[in-house]
Amino acid sequence: MREFFSGKNAKILSITAIVLVVLAILGAAGHPLVSSGVNLLTKGLSQVSAAAASEGEKTYDELLEENKKLKKDAADLRTQLVDYYDIKDENARLWKYYRIKKTNPDYEIMPASVIRRDSSQDFYSFTVDVGTSNGVEVQDPVITENGLIGFVSSASAVSCKVTTILSPDLQAGAVDKRTADSGVVAGNALYTDENKTTLTKIDAGVRIKKGDIITTSGIGGIYPANLIVGEVSDIKYDSYDATKYAVVKSYENIKKVTDVVILTDFKNKGEIKRISGKGDR
Amino acid sequence: MDKKFTVVRYFAYGMEILLLFILQSTPNLIPELFGGKPLLLIPAAITIALFEPEIPAMFFGISSGILLDLGYGDNIGFYTVTLGVICFLLGWIFRDYMVVSFLNATAFTTVITTGLICLYFLFFYIFAGKGEAGFYFVNHYISKIVYTFLCGVILYFLNKAIFRSLLDY
Repeated sequence: MREFFSGKNAKILSITAIVLVVLAILGAAGHPLVSSGVNLLTKGLSQVSAAAASEGEKTYDELLEENKKLKKDAADLRTQLVDYYDIKDENARLWKYYRIKKTNPDYEIMPASVIRRDSSQDFYSFTVDVGTSNGVEVQDPVITENGLIGFVSSASAVSCKVTTILSPDLQAGAVDKRTADSGVVAGNALYTDENKTTLTKIDAGVRIKKGDIITTSGIGGIYPANLIVGEVSDIKYDSYDATKYAVVKSYENIKKVTDVVILTDFKNKGEIKRISGKGDR
Repeated sequence: MDKKFTVVRYFAYGMEILLLFILQSTPNLIPELFGGKPLLLIPAAITIALFEPEIPAMFFGISSGILLDLGYGDNIGFYTVTLGVICFLLGWIFRDYMVVSFLNATAFTTVITTGLICLYFLFFYIFAGKGEAGFYFVNHYISKIVYTFLCGVILYFLNKAIFRSLLDY
């Protein structure tokens, strides 16, 4: 017995006992050091095991029911996603109209969508889904955010036909924004396929060059001033009447355009400002 | 005499014309080949007229013509009148004087399609003074005529099938 108490093991036992007693006293006094430490170390593991145990408690029928519910939720979310994309597209479209209106507060605009592009039509004319019942009139300008597209050539109550700037039927007074040289924009069969129109009736000494931007002049009262027609891509010489003309490429793909805006009213509509006979027609 | 198959056949022709109009006028649906798109309603009206008597043939010719003219303006005009008359004559000729065969159907479709599209070009392009007529005809109208004719071959077999399967004996 004496050997036992004087040995190494007895010392270890004594120290351990004292430590345990101290810890027990501390725990009883509201400082559970050991249990706090163990809880901290085992919390994550307990959460996983608790969750697994909880799942295991569900029956097959409950899981089937839950699966059905989740599938329905997923379908609802997909529908909401499609709606979201539709609304996003519409928002983008309305935003473009808003920008046009904001830049030109005097414009009264009527958004329209292309509903027909008939095969019998020349020069990529098309029909849109608004007509006289929406306030549209024959000769109203048709534009997009990229500039002038054409004009309303005929209108019924619910639809109207648009003749494009690629057609020789459209003639609009126009100016070169860089040089202020003026002319008349008119379509030409030679350039229709390339989505181009021409600036004709330009004087021999004009300084128009490739890359210049052509806009409407507003002379004639049919088109408002400063509508972009396109960019000069070439200067040509017409041997038939010995004059020069500029080939103008539209910024909009007129062959494929699907949404347009009709200008039903604007400042100076119908006011004719005659300057050297280069007005709208 | 029971005419129930005739009624169903005419209804089928009507649906065909409507469907072709939608196909022809829907933006960016039928691809453009060499600058031209087909006028599907011309061969449709012609091939229907080959199998039907004068009055129904004229009716389908006028219906197709109205839809074609709607594409140009908002009034009936060139195609309504010409297709109405031509389809009446075709119905009469093929009822009393000729037998429908692939050969003569092709010949009539080619001649009438080419003639109508060329007349249209004369009245609405050249007389309208749009300029560069030769260039535009070569680059747009020739392909349109060929494309229309090729679709006409398919429409001939379609209308022949409709006529034979919905015939009152």
